[in-house]
Amino acid sequence: MSRFNLPDLGEGLQEAEIVQWHVAVGDRVAVDQPMVAMETAKAVVEVPSPVAGVIAALHGKPGDTVATGAPLVDFKVDGESPPTPAQGPATASGGVVGHMPTSDEELREAPMPQVAPGSPGRRRRALPAARDLARRLGLDIDAVAGTGRDGLVTVADVQAASGHAASTQHVPVPAPLHRASDSAEGELEVLRSLRRAMAQSMSLARDNVMECTVCDDADIEHWESGNDYTSRLLRAIAAGCRAEPGLNAWFDATSQGRRIFHHIDVGIAVDTPDGLLVPVIRDVGNRSGAELRADINRLKAGARDRSLPASDLRDFTFMLSNFGVMAGRYATPVVVPPAVAILGAGKVSRDVVAVGDRIEVHRRMPLSLTFDHRCVTGGEAVRLLGAVIKDLEMRS
Amino acid sequence: MKDVADFVIRRGQWLDAEGRPTGPLPDFARDTAEVERMYRMMTLCRLFDAKAVNLQRTGRLGTYAPCTGQEATHVGVGAAMRPEDVLCPVYREYGTQLWRGVTLAEILVYWGGDERGTNFAVPRQDFPWCVPIASQTPIAAGVAMAFKVRGEPRCAVAYIGDGGTSEGAFYEAMNAAGAQKLPVVFVVVNNGWAISVPVAAQTAAQTLAQKAIAAGITGVQVDGNDIIGVRLVMEEALGRARRGEGPTVVETLTYRLSDHTTADDATRYRPAGELEAAWPSEPLVRTRRYLESLGAWDDAREQALRADCSKQIEAAVQAYQSTPKDSTDAMFDHLFAHLPEALEEQKDSARRWSAGH
Amino acid sequence: MAKVTLVEAVNMALAHEMARDPDVVLLGEDIGRNGGVFRATIGLQERFGPLRVQDSTLAEGAIAGMAVGMASQGLRPVAEIQFMGFLYPALDQICNHMARMRNRTRGRLTMPIVVRMPHGGGIHAPEHHSESLETLLCHHAGLRVLCPSSPARAYGLLLAAIRDPDPVMFLEPTRLYRMAKQEVLDDGLALPLDRAFRLREGEDVTVVTWGAMTHDVLRAADQLSLEKIGCDVIDLASLSPIDHDTVLDSVSRTGRLVIVHEAARHCGVGAEVAATVAERGLHDLLAPVRRITGYDTVMPYFKLEHDYIPSVARIADGIRETART
Repeated sequence: MSRFNLPDLGEGLQEAEIVQWHVAVGDRVAVDQPMVAMETAKAVVEVPSPVAGVIAALHGKPGDTVATGAPLVDFKVDGESPPTPAQGPATASGGVVGHMPTSDEELREAPMPQVAPGSPGRRRRALPAARDLARRLGLDIDAVAGTGRDGLVTVADVQAASGHAASTQHVPVPAPLHRASDSAEGELEVLRSLRRAMAQSMSLARDNVMECTVCDDADIEHWESGNDYTSRLLRAIAAGCRAEPGLNAWFDATSQGRRIFHHIDVGIAVDTPDGLLVPVIRDVGNRSGAELRADINRLKAGARDRSLPASDLRDFTFMLSNFGVMAGRYATPVVVPPAVAILGAGKVSRDVVAVGDRIEVHRRMPLSLTFDHRCVTGGEAVRLLGAVIKDLEMRS
Repeated sequence: MKDVADFVIRRGQWLDAEGRPTGPLPDFARDTAEVERMYRMMTLCRLFDAKAVNLQRTGRLGTYAPCTGQEATHVGVGAAMRPEDVLCPVYREYGTQLWRGVTLAEILVYWGGDERGTNFAVPRQDFPWCVPIASQTPIAAGVAMAFKVRGEPRCAVAYIGDGGTSEGAFYEAMNAAGAQKLPVVFVVVNNGWAISVPVAAQTAAQTLAQKAIAAGITGVQVDGNDIIGVRLVMEEALGRARRGEGPTVVETLTYRLSDHTTADDATRYRPAGELEAAWPSEPLVRTRRYLESLGAWDDAREQALRADCSKQIEAAVQAYQSTPKDSTDAMFDHLFAHLPEALEEQKDSARRWSAGH
Repeated sequence: MAKVTLVEAVNMALAHEMARDPDVVLLGEDIGRNGGVFRATIGLQERFGPLRVQDSTLAEGAIAGMAVGMASQGLRPVAEIQFMGFLYPALDQICNHMARMRNRTRGRLTMPIVVRMPHGGGIHAPEHHSESLETLLCHHAGLRVLCPSSPARAYGLLLAAIRDPDPVMFLEPTRLYRMAKQEVLDDGLALPLDRAFRLREGEDVTVVTWGAMTHDVLRAADQLSLEKIGCDVIDLASLSPIDHDTVLDSVSRTGRLVIVHEAARHCGVGAEVAATVAERGLHDLLAPVRRITGYDTVMPYFKLEHDYIPSVARIADGIRETART
């Protein structure tokens, strides 16, 4: 049995009407023998038989409308393999008309409201680079406050918010990943909140910052009693930044811009069971040691019980890692953009030092300064480090 | 006022509708083998035409432009040309193309929607079918200019229909060819109808051949259903062109015994009876009668010829239908000599999505 | 109310306006006795006579040029170019005269002309019958370019085009001529010019398209709705000028833009849409703009035309990718 479907008899015609059959069921037809007269929107045409054989069925009677691609005639074909149309609407798989809906299709179009610009539902406007950064940080851009014109979210806004996010539960958590093994040991622990934020900010730093670290020691043998490490370090950083303001800055790779700050806000890395937290001590250069100490204590306590407000966790201009309270002399601390420098203070130890021609034993503080070499020169870095050391080596 | 220009358009006919000579015939017309060769080609065209229409009606070919009724013009022009000449056809002059070596399968592949059909194996310098009306005529003038520049004794032949002579490009081509005395012949196939518009509505000119007068070149009419006349007039025009005597417009008077294309229905606009009235003048019967009068033809030979043509046609249909669809790469591979790198991505995309159909 | 195809809606609008305004005159190849090769003008010569429905000589340049002359005398010519691939000889008149006459004469001579032409492929047609050349027209100042995608819009926009005092290029998607029917009231109500039409509301991706691709886009949108991807589908309809506000408004809500057109990508109208969103809506974007278009190749003869015209699958894939970006 071979079925012949009505082909497109013109160009893009959807249907044709049967005018007259020239053959009947049971008739033997030859190839190209006229079978039926069909009327389309454009013409009355004779449709010939594509095969030699016997008519098995006629689909439709005069006056009926047949859709292009619909069955017209069935044949019992002489021989076993009827010729297959090379292309065209008669084939199910190819040709244009086989894919076109018939004229029975009715269009129904409901009028759509033309929403006025500025109406509710508008998305947060953001710089594409800011969206990209937010995506990489796992931040919801709609939750970021925009400080640009008309509330535009800038890269800086996202960076600021990333600190904020680190202290809250805004960071989205991906669906748990599973290992093939059922063993509880070494089971995959999905990073959450602070640790996840750390992973993201460290990746960001790795991908973007050109880090360079320089190390030296500060001789603090002659410190008067009552000095505490952290407040002295903060004061020394302020001195360093005054000597070399280029490290108290933010760098924006997108705009290739550097913003140098007058105020010195130092983020202090605080280790917590949940991960790294970076509370910020404001305006370090203009405050007394006692004020700084009080602030340090408040922030450390707040960091431990996770009670710090967002305002204490954003917008540091320089960073301090006081890792030496535990162990380790030197390190390569990581600069977290957009800041450009971090000072690491290692474990204070008693070292043999040369004092003139004499050998003495002094307490020394190892220092490691990492800077973003994209926008800070080595000279700037060592000048800052020199100023830091000079301040630290003062008695009080 | 005084007369400053005058013109006469001459019409030639050598075989009448009954196949009788109207006067002395040229040498080739007395060479029965040559006449038989032309008759065979005309018959092949006629039978091929019917097959192609049937293929379209059964969804196996795209829109096709038939040639029935115009075989004498097409074969006569082909026979008058030399292989080294160049043809710029319209889209239904299969007789000329077949004479020059285009194959039936190539014609089917083309109308089957595939550009590979225009990559003629034999007449490598002939132009492909030309759909934008009259645009082929300035091209032919350009081909002729190349022959003139190089001093080659070759000619260009451009076809155009009666409707096509209304396009500006036709006048531009004639005028340029006349001004430069180029070796080109413009064959105006006047089959009476430009789709639905009859010649009388197309122009107020008495003849289309006289459009040559405005360009200062020779214009002549010939009975386009008279194979002897068409070939003779064309040989004379080509001879003049080859000798550097300039271009000619040859208007062949024939009739479109078919619809414009398979997408057309001429019964909508042609006056009742016109088609029937035109059939007795068609070109095959008169050629056959002439051959019979030479004692060179009979029913047995006719039957054998038809069987032979059908065999050729069947083989061409088989070859066409067994031609697999071209790859999407073809869209890109023939765009430039070297595909710009910028398009590589699109080429890949086309490959990726071609499976969808 | 009658259910009509797009080509019937064109006929209906022409008839309505010819009956209403005796200055409306039709000219074109085979439009009279034959009713046009697509039957867009069927019955009109019988009804309005051969002077108002003129079978032109076979010369597109003459058709366009005569329309210029007729318009200068206050007629409202509606010219038909038989296929868009035959537009080229007419471009001299359209671009050098029709589009510029008002400006050159400082308003003294005006050109209330409509040039209708079939647009696009997908109907198995011969060479040069399937082109999408809107860019050629859109690049010329002084022309409006419309492309309706439904019978109702064909009717309403053609009325608007005829009544407009300036030249309008009216591109009729050939593939849609008879593809579907729609109830269209012959009420003589024109649709606004220079406006896009929102066909579907969705929250995730704005999809801008026009012409025959509109239907493929809607089918892709149907598929994607099953995947919970909502498409805000805009039929641009007016390709010059472009209703950028409608596009920008949608993008401000979805943040994602996919442009689908059948014409070649390079310098396509989609590039203009994308560039304007880059200029005025960049801050709303959540993902890069994507174009799904014909390739920068010659429009292939019909064996490969469906490899050229973006398929529903290709459209759906592109929208899906953008939605996930």
